[in-house]
Amino acid sequence: MSKNKNNPFKTPEGYFDSFQENLMDKLTKDEPVIPKETAFKVPDGYFDIFNEKLMERLDDETKVVPLYPVKKVIALVASMAAVVVLFFGINWNKSTTVSFGDLANRDIEAYFENNEFGLTSYEIAEVIPVSDTELSDIMNSSIEDEQILDYLNENINELDELNLTDNE
Amino acid sequence: MIVEETLVQDLRTKSTQAQAFKVLVDMYKERLYWQIRSIVLNHADADDVLQNTFIKVFKNIDGFKGESQLFSWMYRIATNEALSYIKQKAKKQGLTHTDYQEKVVANLQADVYFEGDEIQLKLQQAIATLPEKQKLVFNMKYFQELKYEEISSILDTSVGGLKASYHLAVKKLEQYLKKD
Repeated sequence: MSKNKNNPFKTPEGYFDSFQENLMDKLTKDEPVIPKETAFKVPDGYFDIFNEKLMERLDDETKVVPLYPVKKVIALVASMAAVVVLFFGINWNKSTTVSFGDLANRDIEAYFENNEFGLTSYEIAEVIPVSDTELSDIMNSSIEDEQILDYLNENINELDELNLTDNE
Repeated sequence: MIVEETLVQDLRTKSTQAQAFKVLVDMYKERLYWQIRSIVLNHADADDVLQNTFIKVFKNIDGFKGESQLFSWMYRIATNEALSYIKQKAKKQGLTHTDYQEKVVANLQADVYFEGDEIQLKLQQAIATLPEKQKLVFNMKYFQELKYEEISSILDTSVGGLKASYHLAVKKLEQYLKKD
């Protein structure tokens, strides 16, 4: 539409010609600065061979182990015989037997400290029934509130780690 | 969803289990991979966690109650597996969660499976500074383009809460990227 003859307003020269260009410039400038691509890549063909790899691992994990394999039964009988022989042997020799109670606590602790079990505390936590365990079962002395506060002061960097709220 | 119900049924039936599991893996492997990768950041860890996730799904399919969609159930397992994976790794290396995150982002520069330019690297550094929930919501919304309703069923948070988290995350990231 051309300019109305009676319209007293004017525009700078070439305003409408360069309007589109100016608008596009502004639009791109206002675009979010956050790139949409993350630039993470996967090795070539990774998803094609994934199924195969997963099935292999699953096969390994779910292999059925027979309940009473012959070798195990033989080993069991042999070890029982050995125990019987040892038991009588020890009695005949009148020597003293060592029971679990004879072990010093620090020996047990040292054993746990020095031997690698390949279990993380997470895995241990999975097998220990938390609901049946009281703090007093694993600790001799009780913890005072003050000690808890001291611990939190020293060890927690962010309040978020406590997961007290939804953290939204 | 009927397809999903049939799939779950097939997964629980011994004779159809193997085939159904293959279908399930094909349906979800890529989506879950990117969810996991956005948390653990490097490919080797993502591969490890993705396998763990499917193994867990396979072993626990009887525990799937059908109250949530299979999709959100699996996403939840993948997310939890990835989060506990990095927590365990941080602990093994004697680092706090934040220090571990910074270290992983710093390693991205040398990662052959990260082809980002300067701004993309800076974005990852910025994301690493966000609280866990904001980080999850941002990645799921911005990069994976999941709907708020879907994220809500995965993270078990209200849509309103998610919108607030997302908004905050975007603001912080923009600020981080604009500085210097």
